[in-house]
Amino acid sequence: MEPLLDFLFSAMGRVLPFGFAEPLFMKRAILAMLFIAPAAAAVGVPLVHFRMAFFSDAIGHSAFTGVAIGVLLGVHPLLTMVAFGLFVAWAITRVKGRTELSPDTVIGVFFSTVIALGVAIISAQKGLTRNLQAYLYGDLLAVSGTELLWMGALLIAVGAYLFLTFNRIMLLGVHEGFARSMGVPVQALEVSFALVVALVVTTAIRAVGILLVTALLVVPAAAARNVARGAVSAFWVAIAIAVVSGLSGIAASYYLDTATGATVVLFAAALFAATAMHKVVFRR
Amino acid sequence: MMVTAHHHTLEIRDLSVRAGGVEILSGIHADIRCGEVTALVGPNGAGKTTLLLAILGLVRYTGEIRFCRAAEHGEGAPRIGYVPQRLDFDRNAPMTVLDFLALSSQRYPVVFGHSARSKRSARETLARVGVDHLISRPLGKLSGGELQRILLALALRDDPDILLLDEPVSGADLSGEGLFCEFLGQIHSESRFSLLLVSHDLSVVGRHADRVICLNRRIICQGATTEMLTPENLEAMYGSGAHLVSHGPADGRGHLHPPAAGGGEDRRD
Repeated sequence: MEPLLDFLFSAMGRVLPFGFAEPLFMKRAILAMLFIAPAAAAVGVPLVHFRMAFFSDAIGHSAFTGVAIGVLLGVHPLLTMVAFGLFVAWAITRVKGRTELSPDTVIGVFFSTVIALGVAIISAQKGLTRNLQAYLYGDLLAVSGTELLWMGALLIAVGAYLFLTFNRIMLLGVHEGFARSMGVPVQALEVSFALVVALVVTTAIRAVGILLVTALLVVPAAAARNVARGAVSAFWVAIAIAVVSGLSGIAASYYLDTATGATVVLFAAALFAATAMHKVVFRR
Repeated sequence: MMVTAHHHTLEIRDLSVRAGGVEILSGIHADIRCGEVTALVGPNGAGKTTLLLAILGLVRYTGEIRFCRAAEHGEGAPRIGYVPQRLDFDRNAPMTVLDFLALSSQRYPVVFGHSARSKRSARETLARVGVDHLISRPLGKLSGGELQRILLALALRDDPDILLLDEPVSGADLSGEGLFCEFLGQIHSESRFSLLLVSHDLSVVGRHADRVICLNRRIICQGATTEMLTPENLEAMYGSGAHLVSHGPADGRGHLHPPAAGGGEDRRD
C-alpha cells in the first residue's frame, strides 16, 4: 500500500506546487484532509437533516474516554477510541428507541456519564494528560501512513454506504411512519447510520480533535443550506465547502503557525458566515 | 354497507399498547375489510394515531394484527399506505417536491440528479392530485393541505392494500372533506383497498364511511355508520353535552361539538 501513497504524494506535488505542500508531513496532512473532509461533510448532510448535531458531539466526546480506556488497558488508544465510539453510538440509539425521553435528554445523560468515566480514569492515572493533547486538539501533521490508508478506506466505505442508503435516510428524516409505509427499514437504517457517524467522528478526531470534530460534520452542511434550494446543490456545496476550508485551513496554519484543526474549522465558519450573508442579501 | 366478497381483511385481535406505564390502547378487537371505508373517531388522546402506528409496526403492542388475503389475490405482506397528520421535518431543509418524490422512486441518491423516469413519475403523481405546479417548490414552504395531497398521491402510487389516513390538522386551505371528496372517493371506488380514516369531522364520517370505530383508549362501539353515530355513543366517547349540529341543508349529518369546545361552528382540533 505504501507505493500507492507515494504515487498520490507525487501527484500532489504537481497539482499543488505551493511551498506549504512541499514537506512530506504536509503532503500527508493534505491527503488526510482530502479523505476526511468530504466523508465528514457527506455524513453531515443527513445528520443535519436529522437534527443529530448533539449526537455527533456526544460521540466525539466519548473518544476522550475511549482514549483513556486504551491507555489504561495498554491497547493502542486509536482502537479503543473507535470501538468505544461505536459502542456509545449503538447504546444511545437503542435507549432512544425504548424510552419516552426526548433524544436530547438521552444523549445528554450518555454524554455526561461518558465524560465522567473518562475523567475518573484519567485522574487516577498520573501522566496520562500528556497523551490526551493530541486527541483534544487534533494532530493532523503527525498522521501516519497506516492512518492515511484507514482514512482513505473510510471515505470509500462512507461513499458506498451513502450511495446505497441516502434516499431512504432522507425519507426517514421527513417522517418515520411515512418512511416505514414506503418500505424503509427504519431500525436498520437508524442503527447503521449512527454507527457510520461514530466511525467518521472518531476518525476525524485525528484531524481536528475532540473539541472541534462536530464542526467538520455540521458546518459545511449548515453553510450549504444557506445557499442551496434543492438536495443536489445542498450536498455538493457542502462537500465543496469542506474541501476548500480543509485545504485553505492547512495552508494558513502552515504560514501562521496555528493549530491545523482549529484553522480549518475557522475557515469553514467563515464560509458559513459568507453564505449566511448571501442569504440575507438575496433573500428569497 | 357493501355486500361484496372481501378478498382481504385486517384483523386486529386483543391489541393493547402501553407506554410509560400507561395503557394507551387496550383490548382492541376490530376488522378492517377490503373495499370499505372505516372511520376511526374519538376525542384527542383516544389513541387513534397510536392504533395507526401499531398497524404500521411502529409501536410495540401486545395482541395480534393479522392480514388475511384470499389466495387468488396474491400472497405476502400487505402494502400499507400511510398519510400522516403532519410531517415533523425541518422546514428549512433544502429539498424540493421533486427531490422528495424522487427519494422513493429512484435507486441512486438524489444528489446525483433525478432520473428521467422519476421525473415523469413525479409529474404523474402530482397531476393526479392536481398540484403539478408545485414540482420545484421547496417542500418546507408548502401548506399542510398541499403536503397532505402529495403524501396521499405517493401512498396511492404503490397501489396499497390498506390506506391509513390521519386527518388533516389545519384544514384551512384544503379540508379533509375536500381531499376526500375530490379525489379519494373516486380512487377508492376504482381500486379496492381498505381505507382506515381518522377523523374529527363527523360530517365527513357520516357521508363517506361504511363503518365506524368509536375509540377512547378502548373500543366504545363499532358497526355500520348509520347505527353508530347515536347520541348515547357520542356521549360515551366525548363526555356528556356532546351533540351533533347540522350545517346547511338538513341531511341529518353534522359536526360534532364536544362540550368544552365553545368556539365557532367550524372549529376543529
